[in-house]
Amino acid sequence: MSEDSDIIRRSGATPAAFAELYDRYARAVFRYAAGRVGNGHADDIMSETFLVAFERRESFDITIGDARPWLFGIATTLMRKHSRVEAKAWKGLVAHGAAAVPDDAIEAIGSRIDAEFAVKAIAAALRKMPTRDRDALLLYAWADLDYEGVAQALQIPVGTVRSRLNRARRTLRAASHRGSTPDQEVEHGRNNVAAETA
Amino acid sequence: MDEITLLRRLREDRNPTDESVTRGRAALFNKINAVAPKERVTTARRRFTLAGLGAAGAFAIVGVLVATNVLGFGGWRGGADAAAAAVLERAAVAAMTFEDAPLAAGQYLRVSSQTVHVTDGQEQNGPVIAFRIKESSELYVPADRSDDWVWVREPISVVDVLTPGGEPMVERFYPSGAQAGDPELLRAPFGSFYGNTAESQWGDFASMPRDPYRLLNHIYLTTIGAGSSPDGEALVFIADTLRQGTAPADLRAALLRAAAMIPGVTITDDQATLDGQTGTAIGRVESENGLRQEIIIDPTSGRLIGEREVAVVAIPESSIAAGDVWRWSSVHTSVVDAAPAGGTPNGASDLAGCVPGERPGEMYCPPEDKK
Repeated sequence: MSEDSDIIRRSGATPAAFAELYDRYARAVFRYAAGRVGNGHADDIMSETFLVAFERRESFDITIGDARPWLFGIATTLMRKHSRVEAKAWKGLVAHGAAAVPDDAIEAIGSRIDAEFAVKAIAAALRKMPTRDRDALLLYAWADLDYEGVAQALQIPVGTVRSRLNRARRTLRAASHRGSTPDQEVEHGRNNVAAETA
Repeated sequence: MDEITLLRRLREDRNPTDESVTRGRAALFNKINAVAPKERVTTARRRFTLAGLGAAGAFAIVGVLVATNVLGFGGWRGGADAAAAAVLERAAVAAMTFEDAPLAAGQYLRVSSQTVHVTDGQEQNGPVIAFRIKESSELYVPADRSDDWVWVREPISVVDVLTPGGEPMVERFYPSGAQAGDPELLRAPFGSFYGNTAESQWGDFASMPRDPYRLLNHIYLTTIGAGSSPDGEALVFIADTLRQGTAPADLRAALLRAAAMIPGVTITDDQATLDGQTGTAIGRVESENGLRQEIIIDPTSGRLIGEREVAVVAIPESSIAAGDVWRWSSVHTSVVDAAPAGGTPNGASDLAGCVPGERPGEMYCPPEDKK
């Protein structure tokens, strides 16, 4: 499979080649956006992201093989104008609670009531979180970028990503474990932060 | 479960509809075409045409994940209920026993299929109009699959308009009567139409295990990340593959047995009528999208009649009520001694004088003055 940067370079002479990037990542961009602004707006974000990316393809740093940070960065910027919608989406998540959690995850959490509590807490924390921290957190958790990727997407140093993510995680953890005993903070998802050492 | 893991799980099962992916791609092509004249090397305006093959997407293979003999999660979490499993097993036996009479040299397996499904369209800033269209085709698969396959695809026709008052717009989209155009006639060795490989177009049958348990895991790996849920998407994959009618009998049997291992599969309708035939519907409700995917089997012979998706909750924006059929496909196979003459690998695109681009499915066509 050719690297994303090859596709973007080829699209200079053969614009249609750019469509391959869409086929690779449109769904991933949608999933990221859908979590933040809902499926309806996510359709638009998905489409717009690639229109903007295509227009700006000359600005892509082709020494970077992976185009995802660049694309998710564009999607993140596009979603800023939907901040009111996003705030509503978090409110919706607070209201719907555990309905958003897949069944097997509920089992892992313990019970529907625990899941309900955890989701509401997370949603409320996300809603109140500063935008810059939330962007970093959701690029990491929902766009599956590593620290380096988040740094490229937001065009900030990787050290800044680290501190934003640490802060965001602390906020989430405090919210979701409020009232529970500290030893429940066992980090089953430790492998999720493997990128920290990258 | 820590907070990041939980946060990750909240995003799962969000997927764009095929329509929205197609719309997004079309918007991108519009933009691509808009810049093309400035950069063109030939005199022809570049126009990008995609092979119109919804099913092909279902076979996008997820590279290295498709390891054979993987012990995955199929078969461990229960399966279809006993009654549904029994019907599927009978159909599997029927597939092995009665079907696929060996083809003599020069003979063809003819697969006649019809699909009716809900779609929508919109003009400028007008309302979104939902309507039902029918696609039908006849595929001629030669005894030696490396020979020419022939595919006759009828023009899309409108079955009915669901949004009140939408008829004029739909008529502009799909003109009826003499305006509808001629069938598209395709011909290519291996069935590699529209520049696709046989595997990407029809499925990589050689790589699919015939052991139902391994096959189901293969399907889970192949469809990972697609659809609303792994179980739902696995059943969709099975239905898609069966609907094409091109899978060999041993694979069809294995697909039916794999379906019997998917949790949540039950007999959903024992009097399901599809394209004038009545059979037993076996399916699974996808709670994520409120659709029930079903495979419909003739209870006496075990023959596959077709497959369909039924809305279990109303979809008001498409004027669909709970219980309405969202999409159905029937498939009928027979052995014939001849296939129609003529046809080219890219059908209508070849007639229009298009030339293939560098990627599969990509065509550059002359300016469309005559549209």
